[in-house]
Amino acid sequence: MTTLQSAPRATTTGPSPARGRGRRSTRWLPTVVLLLGAAYCLVPVLWVLTAATKSPGELFTTVPFRPGTGFLDNLRGLFSYGGGEFGRWALNSALYAGAGSLLSTAMSAAAGYGLAKFAFRGRRVLLVALFGGVLMPGITLAVPQYLLLSAVGLAGTYWSVLLPLLVNPFGIYLCWVFASSSVPDETLEAARLDGAGELRTFWAISVPMMLPGLVTVLLLQFIGIWNNFLLPFIMLSDQGRYPLTLGLYTLLARGSGESALYSLAVTGAAVSVVPLVALMLVLQRFWRVDLLSGGVKG
Amino acid sequence: MSDAAPSPPSAVLGEHGTGGPLRARTAPSSRRPSGGHGRRGGGGRSLAGYGFVAPAVVFFVAFFVLPVLYAIYLSLRGARLTGGGALGIRRETWVGLANYRDALTDPQLLASLGRMLAIGVIAVPVTLGAALLFALLLDVPRVRAVRFSRTAIFLPYAVPGVVASLLWGFLYLPRTSPFGFTGIGFLDEPALFGSVANIAVWSGVGFNMIVLFTALQSVPREVYEAARIDGCGEWQIALRIKIPLVVPALALTGLFSLIGALQIYGEPQTLRPLTSSISSTWVPLMKVYRDAFTTDDIGGAAATSVVLALGSLLLSLLVLKAAQRRTRSSS
Amino acid sequence: MRPRTRRATVAATAALVLGAGFTACGSSGPSADDPVELSYWSWAPNVEQVVETWNAEHPEIQVTVTDAGGNTDTATKLVTQTRAGNAPDMAQVEYPTLPSLVVGEVAADITEHVDDATRDAFTDSTWALTTFNDAVYGIPQDVGPMMMLYRADRFEELGVEVPTTWEEYAAAAAQVRAADPTSYIGTFSVDQTGFFAGMAQQAGAQWWSVDGDAWSVGIDDEASLAVADYWQGLVDEDAVLQAPILTPEWNAQVADGEILTWPSAVWSPGVIEDVAPETAGEWAMAPLPQWTEGDSAVGLQGGSSSIVTTSSDHPEEAAQFLAWLNGSDEGATALLTTVNNYPAATAGQEAATSNEPPALVAGQEDFYDLAAEVAADTIPVTWGPNYNVTNAAFADALGAAVQGGGSYREALEQVQATTVADMEETGYTVTR
Repeated sequence: MTTLQSAPRATTTGPSPARGRGRRSTRWLPTVVLLLGAAYCLVPVLWVLTAATKSPGELFTTVPFRPGTGFLDNLRGLFSYGGGEFGRWALNSALYAGAGSLLSTAMSAAAGYGLAKFAFRGRRVLLVALFGGVLMPGITLAVPQYLLLSAVGLAGTYWSVLLPLLVNPFGIYLCWVFASSSVPDETLEAARLDGAGELRTFWAISVPMMLPGLVTVLLLQFIGIWNNFLLPFIMLSDQGRYPLTLGLYTLLARGSGESALYSLAVTGAAVSVVPLVALMLVLQRFWRVDLLSGGVKG
Repeated sequence: MSDAAPSPPSAVLGEHGTGGPLRARTAPSSRRPSGGHGRRGGGGRSLAGYGFVAPAVVFFVAFFVLPVLYAIYLSLRGARLTGGGALGIRRETWVGLANYRDALTDPQLLASLGRMLAIGVIAVPVTLGAALLFALLLDVPRVRAVRFSRTAIFLPYAVPGVVASLLWGFLYLPRTSPFGFTGIGFLDEPALFGSVANIAVWSGVGFNMIVLFTALQSVPREVYEAARIDGCGEWQIALRIKIPLVVPALALTGLFSLIGALQIYGEPQTLRPLTSSISSTWVPLMKVYRDAFTTDDIGGAAATSVVLALGSLLLSLLVLKAAQRRTRSSS
Repeated sequence: MRPRTRRATVAATAALVLGAGFTACGSSGPSADDPVELSYWSWAPNVEQVVETWNAEHPEIQVTVTDAGGNTDTATKLVTQTRAGNAPDMAQVEYPTLPSLVVGEVAADITEHVDDATRDAFTDSTWALTTFNDAVYGIPQDVGPMMMLYRADRFEELGVEVPTTWEEYAAAAAQVRAADPTSYIGTFSVDQTGFFAGMAQQAGAQWWSVDGDAWSVGIDDEASLAVADYWQGLVDEDAVLQAPILTPEWNAQVADGEILTWPSAVWSPGVIEDVAPETAGEWAMAPLPQWTEGDSAVGLQGGSSSIVTTSSDHPEEAAQFLAWLNGSDEGATALLTTVNNYPAATAGQEAATSNEPPALVAGQEDFYDLAAEVAADTIPVTWGPNYNVTNAAFADALGAAVQGGGSYREALEQVQATTVADMEETGYTVTR
């Protein structure tokens, strides 16, 4: 934990000392502009949160942003809908995003480290290919991926959503940057001289050094998978395996012909945002997004 | 191509850098191994390198390379009539470049590219501009509510694209919207372009702001103090010192926003049932989706995808090149 | 690579076991101990309750229902999953998309599995919807003879007569606008290809017809163009609302009583009941307005059949289930009462006449008699092999026309051109 907490502080110095020292009054113009920006970003979120408290009858008829009376009923309706499908979707999302981001980050860390610290034939080809991978729209890949996974009998299973998202070219690229910048060659040499194997060196020395960056990759990938829609949409037909995004989409699609489902979908949207926001708030200070900018130089 | 895959900088943002941030940031690309230490080890070492990248390579080949090759194969095939009877049977056969001819001569594709451009021209600069503005403001001394604003502006990043589009959809429709009184037809042209771009901006501004803000935070405070002592105002510090310092971060966020704009799909697709102004081929990827799924023309979809991917690649390389030249000249 | 190998082994073992199973009881067919398991995609609400009845009565054939996401997504996924060999055994599909699914080898030919009793459960024109070149590709499930749902209370309040011809409808539209500027008599939605096609049929159009192996496409024939001009006139005068239907916006307008009619089909009360439950009882159903006073034939809009897919390993059992669900008295009645569908089978339609009317039109005791009367006189229709292309082109071209101010007439000509070009590229002979 100490690495986690101390490393970001080295770069993100937190509230600048100048701010504390300032004896003069608040700068109002920047404050107001920032608050306006915050309001712009919060309005839709507030709308969905208040709308989630409205009963179906109140949803589009009462004043927006004023809490309604149906929140508990909506929650109850949401979690009992279709025999508890919503809870199932939430668990699925947690599974896809949790397992997917962990495995993906491990794979990216190893690959990034390998690319940064070892010279081998084909390294440059790999880098170029990975760069091309970032540019491939998911929709272009989805159909061939579906057909290929079908050929090995995996389409429609949990694996069909989990596996294609494991390889994350951008994550590999970031890990490459992190490994280059935070793992000194001298340290590796020293470890090798001490007789440590490559795997042990990686695990015991390099990974802790790369950890703040890895948290960033993990978080980015978690959010990416949690928010993914297209891949599960194409791969899955069994609602029991749907993630939240797809489940909400079907709720809303049906809502156009059955307006009672709108309030369920809106409540579901509000509920589905909560865990991610909580996760982000908790992990926000471990972000090393500044490191991202290292990459475009050159 | 070699410039597109630069070696990583030897020191990032002053973490180990002994030089000032300016030097660290604009370190010239060194294609040589950093520090001259023996990265190029013996055969065993190189084998270990293969070992580390192997899992990623296997998955990359399975889920990127193979699908891309398969897509190229599909793009050369099309469903054609076989068998007699009035209905007959459509079967996939080799059609050569027919799908490419159709894609390149399709006025709808051209129109959809135009619309994508219009949205990108709004969304990319606004996202970057607003992100830079907020990042700079967060970095100004004696500003209140910094933590609150930062969190609030970042919040939309956690909202799934589908949900974000639906929320804004509700906010755009006169009956369900708190802004219905304005009488603006948010979902009719020309406001529609702004409405779609707005969703992209809303979702993206926070992430970009954080990238830029952390880049700013990593600059030692002494640099600004020195400037202040020299009598520079905050605006001048922002313009003359801060913005040049975050150019690399700006280039990166710019590239991301650009790629995002090229791949715009979810927002208009989700809004489509709410308005007659969004056609099934409104942006290029919607056309790909329609061909692949609605009209069962998978060859056509594959051909369009290949054309789009090549276009994106070219454009991104151009932007990268330009960004690199910029970065170099600023050093 | 390991998992894949293991999976292959498992599959091989499974095949062996299955094979052994078949040899053991090959002659006796499926049994309760070793039931045939069938998957069925349907978006019909509560259809799983009807299926439960079947499963209880037929332990040897067990059916599982999945809602793959409404009519559009179901058809979309069917095509993709068939390509990958993963499609369910059976699926509900709308009539217009059926030919494209036959051509795409999604729907299986089940002629040999359908007996005469099933065939006789439907009228000739209904049966024709699922039969091509004398081969049966599906069992009709529900039908949508076109009718007009209207707000009886608001018509009375504004002193407007219920129109019986489209000319009267146009006059009534102006009357409504004059009497209450916040209200419209109806909506013109550019993505309602089915409605437009039905109205064009009523005017004498034939969008597709076959002569031997040669197709004629008449999407821009005189009758269809007349329909285009009709709606263009109404939209230009702001006499009807031009907007997509079944959006939160439109639903709210319906709930507020600002949309006075929904010309569509017999199933419309169920939809509006879900969309605006608080307006139940205020509505009534009338025959669709006619082009010529005194005519009675109307087109069909919506409605669906259920198909057996080419991916199914048990087409015979699947056809047996679908025949029960759609063709038997028991199944058709359950479709009516549980699913709230208007059954395609004549037995179900007759059973309906002794039913209470839907809650939305609660006051209209003769609702199902009227429906049966309309259903008995529908216009036969042939859908083309690329309706999916036409449908997408229709919404796009009409949408562009309402946005850019082009004429609906030109838009229709464009739809015709797109449809013909696509058919010719696929290899069909198109004479016009």
